[in-house]
Amino acid sequence: MNPANLIPVADTLTAPNGWFQFFLMLTFPLHLFAMNAMLGAGLVAFISHLYPGRAHRELSHELAKALPFLVAFTVNLGVAPLLFVNVIYGHLLYSSTVLMGLYWLAVIPLLIIAYYLAYIYDFSFKKLGNLAMFVLLAVLVLLLTVGFIFSNNMTMMIAPASWSRWFTTPGGSLLNLADPTLLPRYLHIITGSLAVGGLFSALYATTVLKSDSKVAEAGRKLGMQLFSWLTLLQLAVGTWFLLSLPQQTLQRFMGGGTVATMLLVIGILLAVATLVTGFKQQVLPTLWLTLPLVYVMSFMRDVVRGNFLAPYFNPTTVPVQVQWSPLVFFLVVLVLGVLLVVWMLSRLINVKKAA
Amino acid sequence: MNYPVWFVPTFGGGLLIALVAIIHVFVSHFAVGGGLYLVMVERKAIKEQSQQIMAFVKKHTKFFMLLTMVFGGLTGVAIWFVISLIHPAATSLLIHTFVFGWAAEWVFFLVEIVALFVYFYTFGRMDDRTHQTIGWIYFGAAWMSLFLINGIIDFMLTPGSWLTNNDFWAGFFNPTFWPSLFFRSFMSFMLAGCYGFLTATFLEDETARHRMIRYSGVWALVSLILSIPAGWWYLSVLPSPAAKLVSGASPTIKRAVMTGAFSLAVLAGVLIALILLNAKARIRCLIVAVMVSAMGYMGAFEWTREAARRPYVINEVMYSNGILKKEVERINQEGFLKNAKWVQHKEVTEANQLEAGRELFLHQCFACHSVGGFNNDIVSRTQNMSFGAMRKYLSTIHEKRYFMPPFVGSDAELKALAAYLTAGLHKKTLADESGAAGDRGKLLYEENCAACHSADSIKPKMKGWDLAKVRASLDKLPALNPAMPDYTAPAADKDAMAGYLFGLNHPGAAAPAKDQGATLYEDNCAACHSMEQIKPKMRGWSRDKIRAALDKLSALNPAMPDYTGTPAEKDAMADYMAKQAGGAK
Repeated sequence: MNPANLIPVADTLTAPNGWFQFFLMLTFPLHLFAMNAMLGAGLVAFISHLYPGRAHRELSHELAKALPFLVAFTVNLGVAPLLFVNVIYGHLLYSSTVLMGLYWLAVIPLLIIAYYLAYIYDFSFKKLGNLAMFVLLAVLVLLLTVGFIFSNNMTMMIAPASWSRWFTTPGGSLLNLADPTLLPRYLHIITGSLAVGGLFSALYATTVLKSDSKVAEAGRKLGMQLFSWLTLLQLAVGTWFLLSLPQQTLQRFMGGGTVATMLLVIGILLAVATLVTGFKQQVLPTLWLTLPLVYVMSFMRDVVRGNFLAPYFNPTTVPVQVQWSPLVFFLVVLVLGVLLVVWMLSRLINVKKAA
Repeated sequence: MNYPVWFVPTFGGGLLIALVAIIHVFVSHFAVGGGLYLVMVERKAIKEQSQQIMAFVKKHTKFFMLLTMVFGGLTGVAIWFVISLIHPAATSLLIHTFVFGWAAEWVFFLVEIVALFVYFYTFGRMDDRTHQTIGWIYFGAAWMSLFLINGIIDFMLTPGSWLTNNDFWAGFFNPTFWPSLFFRSFMSFMLAGCYGFLTATFLEDETARHRMIRYSGVWALVSLILSIPAGWWYLSVLPSPAAKLVSGASPTIKRAVMTGAFSLAVLAGVLIALILLNAKARIRCLIVAVMVSAMGYMGAFEWTREAARRPYVINEVMYSNGILKKEVERINQEGFLKNAKWVQHKEVTEANQLEAGRELFLHQCFACHSVGGFNNDIVSRTQNMSFGAMRKYLSTIHEKRYFMPPFVGSDAELKALAAYLTAGLHKKTLADESGAAGDRGKLLYEENCAACHSADSIKPKMKGWDLAKVRASLDKLPALNPAMPDYTAPAADKDAMAGYLFGLNHPGAAAPAKDQGATLYEDNCAACHSMEQIKPKMRGWSRDKIRAALDKLSALNPAMPDYTGTPAEKDAMADYMAKQAGGAK
């Protein structure tokens, strides 16, 4: 069966495709930052449990307090890019979603359990004693599982050749395990996430927790070590992922495509630069290098998606019937919303200062 | 037809949507009304300078945050996941049409999270005025979320002038937008009062507890009373097919409305009793009853709204099975399978009829019908129908029962689906039964009635009725039950059906002889050999030869016992067998 025949017809867009691409590329890295911070804070807190002494215990406790916020923002900031993916690639995404329906739905209970456990870890940190680290471990395992489910859907939606399995297995129990890119891709993003999360923990320790210098120092050290070693490991994992890509896609990163190759080169340069600042334990320079790096990585991810889909789907061919007023409405709401958030955070900082 | 179908035979998707939606609705409305409740109670605490009430608000906020932000937020995402899994085509259409509405809702969701975190973690550490402002921002953002989602949900029931102009705002501010917004707002305040009740009972200080129970009670009761005219307004603007479904044309919807109304009455009664009689006692079980009835009221409303747009998932635009109304005519001409993406059989042939029928079932029926499962089980609903009756029924299914989508596709495809629903599911024969004069009443019954009630189930209801009464009732079916459509058939058909129905309680009296022959055959012979098996053996036999054979069966085969029926019974059986075998009378 020709896989192209299975691809549903895409619905009409209400704004030029570029706008959705823009919003997707804008919001997806935000989700990544939150998700990285969530995973990394969890891992740093976990490792910190293994160290003796008050400072590391306090560090775990402080990161525990941050964890529920990070889960909340990861979910919220995930909604926007998923919405725009729904618009641009919905017909592909829904197809693969049906194929793996059982796992996809499992995301919700897994997240709810992880979220409540994160709150238990936070609110009952002292009461739990040594048990706390196991609660945290459960949170991490659950979140990593959710990530694995997402990786499956994101790779299956761009691989229509694997879809005909539905005819024999229509119960939503399919994963994309046979795809050679799945595992390196998943490990690539998890390694990157935990590294950036380590950086976040170091940043958090040196800013929010700076009043207790021992805790701040423990956090900075642990976070930056995690960041540097994982980034070093990432050079290997990233190469594995790159080589697992189909020849044609790989070619684009190896000089075949100007944009793709430039992104790869910039990405590698930035990564190497962060290694230098990372091993020197310089938090802020590493941060300034990492922020653009995450954007570069998500652009590269988009290039990979485009290449996988090239034989099947070209987003620019989808019919468009433009209505500007809803777009303007959204932009106005976005600006107002950001202003409100900034104002509220400024009030919060005032309270902290007063304290 | 554009998308694959998530096929879990026993667990139809509709049930899953309903389950997740009702849970979410209950928490998300609380997330809105509860925001106002928090600010108002905090204001009360500030005004009255009550430490206890302030402590209560803080505690309530923690409960509120844990419930609405975690459970409410994630079940909201869950609805999105579930609908894209079960109604991918509809989800895609909604997302594409209202993407910026949803995007704006996401911004309010973000504002809600930040506001609620700041509100909770700065209790007692921020000046009252700013803290109250943060609370108001939370409520404003939460209510705006409701405002936006309300427009999109109501669009699905009443798309209004969007149908002609495809304009975002026309679809958003659709005919049910405002009544539904009022209704939902009052619902959310009512729920806030209910939850307030619950947490108030945990207050240690007696005076504060009494005050908060009373306060929450008044809050819930006033909102409840205000929700009634809003609900009525909502029902009054429903377009005619939906209004008819709600007022009784669909028995299940009517039941939901009745349950809703009933819960409402119980809830009101309980609330009033609670407040007026005894706010001093710790009446937690009574409060649980309040919560349950509130859930019933709300759940019935949501369920009614979902059901009232049947047979559409987006009214007048897309049927529940994802087929666009505007494409029906074209697909009828070109064929469904040819236009469908996720099918293996692009054309119906003699050999693939059952398999093609199964694919048609999957893409056109499974959206609402489980196979041997909980909701709208197709197996039990089709067991009374023969192949011929099923074909006739499918060809006018939407006209006969408005809330079912029409069958979409060619005649051969309709036949394949009918074959799957009878031969595939029940191993029934695929013989056309038309033309059997004596069976006409039964046939007509199967075509027109059996989809909703089997002959067995209505037999006891007609006990003691004479033929004239049965016949007269066929002229005014809605008088028997408002859910039943009129039977618009020529008098001769009604006579035939009346004869059949009367015969159910009076076997032999009015039942045609050929019917009796079939029954006798079933009772006496079918245990060892089906009609299909012996048909070839009787090839070329005349009716008289069959009749004669019935007198000495043991001569045909020593293993067969002689048939000991009366001559009249043998005549009837011989008539029946001769007809089946195709022999001359």
